[in-house]
Amino acid sequence: MTIRNIENLLKEILSDDAVKWHSLEDNRVDGIVPAGFLVPVVDVLNSIDDSYLVAITGLDNGRDDPTLDVLYHFCLAADVITLRVTINKECPDIDSICSIIPYASPLERETQEMFGINFIGTPDTSLLFLPDEQDMTCYPLRKDGLVNGVNDNGNG
Amino acid sequence: MATDEKKRFIVPIGPQHPALKEPGHFAFEVDGEVVKSATMRLGYAHRGIEKATESRTWVQNLYLLERVCGICSHIHSTAYCLGVERLAGVTVPPRARYIRTIVAEIERLHSHFLWLGVAAHEAGFDTLFMYSWRDRETVMDMLETLTGNRVNYSLNVLGGVKYDIEPEHDTQIREGLFYLTDRIHRYIDVVTHDTLFLKRTDGIAITTLDDALSAGLTGPTARASGVQRDIRCDAPYLAYCDVPLQITTETDGDLKARFVIRLHEMLESCRYIEVLLDKLPEGDLTTRMPRRIKAGETISRVEAPRGELFYFIKSNGSDTPERIHIKTPTLANIASVAQLVIGQYLADVPLILIGIDPCFSCNDRMVIRQNDTWDVWDGERLRQYGIQYYASGGESC
Repeated sequence: MTIRNIENLLKEILSDDAVKWHSLEDNRVDGIVPAGFLVPVVDVLNSIDDSYLVAITGLDNGRDDPTLDVLYHFCLAADVITLRVTINKECPDIDSICSIIPYASPLERETQEMFGINFIGTPDTSLLFLPDEQDMTCYPLRKDGLVNGVNDNGNG
Repeated sequence: MATDEKKRFIVPIGPQHPALKEPGHFAFEVDGEVVKSATMRLGYAHRGIEKATESRTWVQNLYLLERVCGICSHIHSTAYCLGVERLAGVTVPPRARYIRTIVAEIERLHSHFLWLGVAAHEAGFDTLFMYSWRDRETVMDMLETLTGNRVNYSLNVLGGVKYDIEPEHDTQIREGLFYLTDRIHRYIDVVTHDTLFLKRTDGIAITTLDDALSAGLTGPTARASGVQRDIRCDAPYLAYCDVPLQITTETDGDLKARFVIRLHEMLESCRYIEVLLDKLPEGDLTTRMPRRIKAGETISRVEAPRGELFYFIKSNGSDTPERIHIKTPTLANIASVAQLVIGQYLADVPLILIGIDPCFSCNDRMVIRQNDTWDVWDGERLRQYGIQYYASGGESC
């Protein structure tokens, strides 16, 4: 199955308006997915033979931007389908996909502790990488005034 | 049931433990000698590299990312270069692509020989450990001759490579490959016929094809269970686009299969390097790269010695990246260990863990924030802490 077939399959299963597709590169499409459609879209992608989830990437859209993106990268041979879900920093909740893809658990844990994203229903919320003494009201990979471990006031 | 549970103990292994070559923490619940459940804790080698890339230039990041891992340093820098070059719209000269590929395959030999030695040691077969690490020196010599370095080769630059392969290098590499091919055949014979060794590997920790797919395994660990997946073939890059590689799989999915698959991969790497040397194109080693990279996002996927290595790179058009995300093969494979060890003897746990060839440095990429300030420990502060710690007889200071 090619990347175009998958795109069309998803369009058939979901309403046309649900996911906005963009071609970024020859072998890569980007689908902007409303948070509520994430689990059904992942279910479809996971059911395709030979497709697999390769990574979950967290993205802070900037200090002045109130949103975070969560990118789910699925691969099918040379093709990559990225599902992009935008959530609010004030309420960074998103459904876990571990019920469909159990091996997403460490990927969700990494994104959770680095960006403070709450994966609703993820089976394990314990820290995977960060030290136990980490203050979990701030998150290392967010851009909230922290560059190279130094805060806005230049304190380090 | 309650009585059974009372008999169970938790055996903690790590973060520092003789069975682990890098720091990681595992808690095994055991009933007698049999493991009933396991949990893991990583991050002891976490250095905040992804965050650090956001305050360094594209060129500086090349040197930083090469240090994500000491074993597969070249493939990390290659994945980074491929992504940045794609964003910049730059085409690397053919000769540079071939040299990158040759060094990537020599690095695979280096990694697999190192793994073979460590795995043999965990199996109690120290003779094989010593032989394989002796032979690994041949590989290290090749890398040192080519680049001047044994571990972080620093071969790549954005837009090409620094070092050429001269005729004398060609000769040394071919002689080394001839010797190594013979040795690898010998090791295949040993791991498939040595009765005592097979007692530790044959039929131990079996992962079926379905289990491997549902666990998201990658690399040789997945191919040992019959998963036909290798980025060098599925999404060719560098010289893999021009010269096809033969992918090998095993079906048994046990520890023995994980030894056999890596040894067969080493044979294929030896063959492949010779083919590339025969076909090495003439031409430049580098092309010009802009200092600022066009705004955009790209994904770079390569086959590291341990499996699929994934880089997500986002540029905002400046001379520093907006975001770099690295997904290493160990993160895909290590979660399976917690499942694989269930029902196995505790004594087999180190070998089962080593069976996936984990790399904690790859996986963990330290900053500590308490209250509202970041507490950053630089090298000098760590050195002073170490001096005071030992001067006070081990009291925390």
